[in-house]
Amino acid sequence: MYNYTTFDKDFVATRAAQFRDQVQRRINGSLTEDEFRPLRLMNGLYMLLHAYMLRVAIPYGTLNGTQMRALADVADRWDKGYAHFSTRQNIQFHWPKLQDVPDILESLAKVDMHAIQTSGSCIRSVTSDHFAGAAADEYEDPRPTAEFVRQWSTDHPEFAFLPRKFKIAVTGSARDRAVIKLHDIGLTLVRNAAGAPGYEVSVGGGLGRTPMIGKVIRDFLPRADLLPYLEAILQVYNQIGRRDNKYKARIKITVHEHGIEEIRNRVEESFSLQRMRFDGVDQDIFARIEADFAEPIYKQASIEGYEIARQSDPLFRSFTDTNLHPHKNADYTIVTVSLKAHGATPGDASSAQMRVLADIAERWSHDELRVSHEQNIILPHVHKGDLPAVHAALRSAGLATANIGLISDLIACPGMDYCDLATARSINIAQGIATRFDELKLEHDIGHLKLKISGCINACGHHHVGHIGILGLEKSGVESYQITLGGDGTETASIGKIIGPGFSTDEIIPAIERLIMAYLDLRLDASETFLTVFRRLGPQPFKTALYTNEVKNHAA
Amino acid sequence: MPLENPILSISERVTELNSRYRNQKTEDVLRDILKDPLFGPVALVSSFGAEAVVLLHMISVIDPATPVIFIDTEMLFPQTLAYQKDLAEKFGLTDVRRITPSREAVFQRDTDNLLHLADRDSCCALRKTEPLERALIGFDAWIGGRKRFQGGVRVAIEMFENEADTRIKINPLAHWSREDVADYITVNTLPRHPLVAKGYLSIGCAPCTTPVSAGEDYRAGRWRGEEKTECGIHLASHVPNSGEPEVNTAVIVNDEGFAPDDWDRGYSVFEDMDDLSETQKSALAIDLPNTFDATDLLPWIDQIDLIRVEFPVFSDGRGFSLAQRLRLLGYHGRLRAKGHVLADQYAMVRRSGFDEVEISHELANRQPQSQWSARAAWQTHNYQQKFYQST
Repeated sequence: MYNYTTFDKDFVATRAAQFRDQVQRRINGSLTEDEFRPLRLMNGLYMLLHAYMLRVAIPYGTLNGTQMRALADVADRWDKGYAHFSTRQNIQFHWPKLQDVPDILESLAKVDMHAIQTSGSCIRSVTSDHFAGAAADEYEDPRPTAEFVRQWSTDHPEFAFLPRKFKIAVTGSARDRAVIKLHDIGLTLVRNAAGAPGYEVSVGGGLGRTPMIGKVIRDFLPRADLLPYLEAILQVYNQIGRRDNKYKARIKITVHEHGIEEIRNRVEESFSLQRMRFDGVDQDIFARIEADFAEPIYKQASIEGYEIARQSDPLFRSFTDTNLHPHKNADYTIVTVSLKAHGATPGDASSAQMRVLADIAERWSHDELRVSHEQNIILPHVHKGDLPAVHAALRSAGLATANIGLISDLIACPGMDYCDLATARSINIAQGIATRFDELKLEHDIGHLKLKISGCINACGHHHVGHIGILGLEKSGVESYQITLGGDGTETASIGKIIGPGFSTDEIIPAIERLIMAYLDLRLDASETFLTVFRRLGPQPFKTALYTNEVKNHAA
Repeated sequence: MPLENPILSISERVTELNSRYRNQKTEDVLRDILKDPLFGPVALVSSFGAEAVVLLHMISVIDPATPVIFIDTEMLFPQTLAYQKDLAEKFGLTDVRRITPSREAVFQRDTDNLLHLADRDSCCALRKTEPLERALIGFDAWIGGRKRFQGGVRVAIEMFENEADTRIKINPLAHWSREDVADYITVNTLPRHPLVAKGYLSIGCAPCTTPVSAGEDYRAGRWRGEEKTECGIHLASHVPNSGEPEVNTAVIVNDEGFAPDDWDRGYSVFEDMDDLSETQKSALAIDLPNTFDATDLLPWIDQIDLIRVEFPVFSDGRGFSLAQRLRLLGYHGRLRAKGHVLADQYAMVRRSGFDEVEISHELANRQPQSQWSARAAWQTHNYQQKFYQST
């Protein structure tokens, strides 16, 4: 993991002190509410439906046990004893008081954490593959680049007041787990013919009201050009991005309106100037950062206990069937801890659970944890011989749900229960679906399925990229849920298509059930996933299942 | 996650609060206010006058640790001071803050305590309005005891009011009648101010308060014989530093702090560039909108002494990129950011290539020099500089 330098530590401590001062200056009238708002947002503080919400950064989802424990302490001391892991690999506290926030930030600074740029019209906290540095399918570790970008983007003087928020994601695996193509800038680590490191850069992806897949603006950018090139893209966007309409202010619209060619020309012109500012010292910094991400010293031990436990313990077997991912070291594995226990709020963890995760990480995962954008917690480096002990510890904390990648491992935004923008509830739908399919005992049979729920058109639940997406809307005072099918957030990215009229709160769960039953009938065998069937057959058979059967039921 | 939901402005909060609490019982409103996350810290401002006992009692029941601000103008009746001590003790109020006028200000402006004879408004400002303003720093809202039945401008007050966009003023008793007040005092057997029995219905400072006869207006005993009906703490327009003369000249901010503008040669606009007079060319300054394309200036870039970039609103960051581009295109002259720039943005302004900021007098008053100086060390804690060049 990256080790904070004295510079980094001073920076976050100073920033916390500055925010304390800004709160005082808001109260004494030096700052108006309009002036305070962006400053507050750039320190992670939102005003939501019932109260303030503080979003703390977990850059590219990586943290250690000490930091996880500090987050648990915040939940206990200043919140209601739990917190919510978000789809942006961050953590949210939903009930802090404004006057406590400076104290919270100060306590976080002590463990090298902060809430900088987790909201506001600025470059947001950078995200990456949650299996980075561990997955067998990875060809290059994206974390040094992510940390490099984090430092460069922190308090960048030119880009703190952009037209809208700006999100950058990095990946270095053939399997895109970072939703690269749906970010304002997506960076994919590549090597050129000569073997030199660089990036494929895509720009203008995004979800929200107008979902768009990012377009490649440079297919090979040498590593040494990364920062000036990012500055060039941001500079062009800062100058010509729309500021007249916040729904048209993201760079995806700028790219759409000007065309990728014109944007590329402007960026290259700007890049030729920005490049002059860099004399190569940034690459020395990159090398120092890279050294911090050296592989852990793997232990040499027997993995016999793992096989024995699989034979003797069906729960352990089920857990290891679904919640593991191959590690680059064959004796090791990556464990995904589900925060989607059936019937629970997706992404929520109690302070007690957070402390158990911290303990497990310190003891069995080289003191590392990750937060995934699918709102689960990752133990990236677990020796297979330790898995029975890890599983037992997780079970005792209610964290051993074996459902990763299955229908109940769904993403849901906070919805109308917390958010004042939401037009429908989403958590109750998530809970209802998880509970229903648990009753049917069909989850494992259905297999790999991404179901994602948003409570309004802003799409925080990423419904556009769910194999099945649910969008909650309000139609003449009644909640109505619209289904989209065929979305995909990986390297084969696509935007889901609306399938037909929406369903009421009472109808939506039976509708999902009909959809799944149709899929089970249609698939060639158990290895054909929902998405593959949809891509093979198109929407028609699913439309028939959703709407014809419904009419029949009504007639009966 | 959601879009940045703007926190409500004070006027929006006031509208929301007035509709939310329209039909609620006063005690419930107070209980909510003291716990509502829509509020930061809240204080009760009390005169310990004729009817103050009602709110003091309610607050003591809900939370006796609520801050109570008592303005001692040093002109009060001795009975008021005694009554204040009695009530605080009887109700167990643990945070009564007795606020007095600034010693220095009294020495300068009312050394013989006779200002009230010459200029009552100035006396109220010195002894009441300004001390209260200082005492309220740090509070998001304050509670007062005004009621509509007291007449004058008070007939139209709402329960929640917007105080010059800086704070919320709460009048929990706005809709109470004179009988409501009397009933509450009787039912709860609360002690009265000793002067009430002598015909004082509204009690302020001794020199300016007289008893009220039957049939007279409720507050007729205050500033008797004058048009004045309010001391000033309830007039929305008051602002801190109101004693200072209004100056319209701009303030320049640089690393040393505030300075007067030393450029008096005027400004041209880009459209003039082709036909400038020799005088203009000898000392050339140009005003640029933040939408300007920096490359258009290339033919003149070595001849300009000062470029002033407009910041129409602090949240429009285009000016930062314009400055950056002007510098990279080779502009070495003076570069100034003009308009709505916050002290919090000073380091950003300097790092993106500006030399100085030009702000209005109003903004300089609101964000005084100390707030800018706090950000003057703009080279420290600078990630980007580490990446740009080896040192």
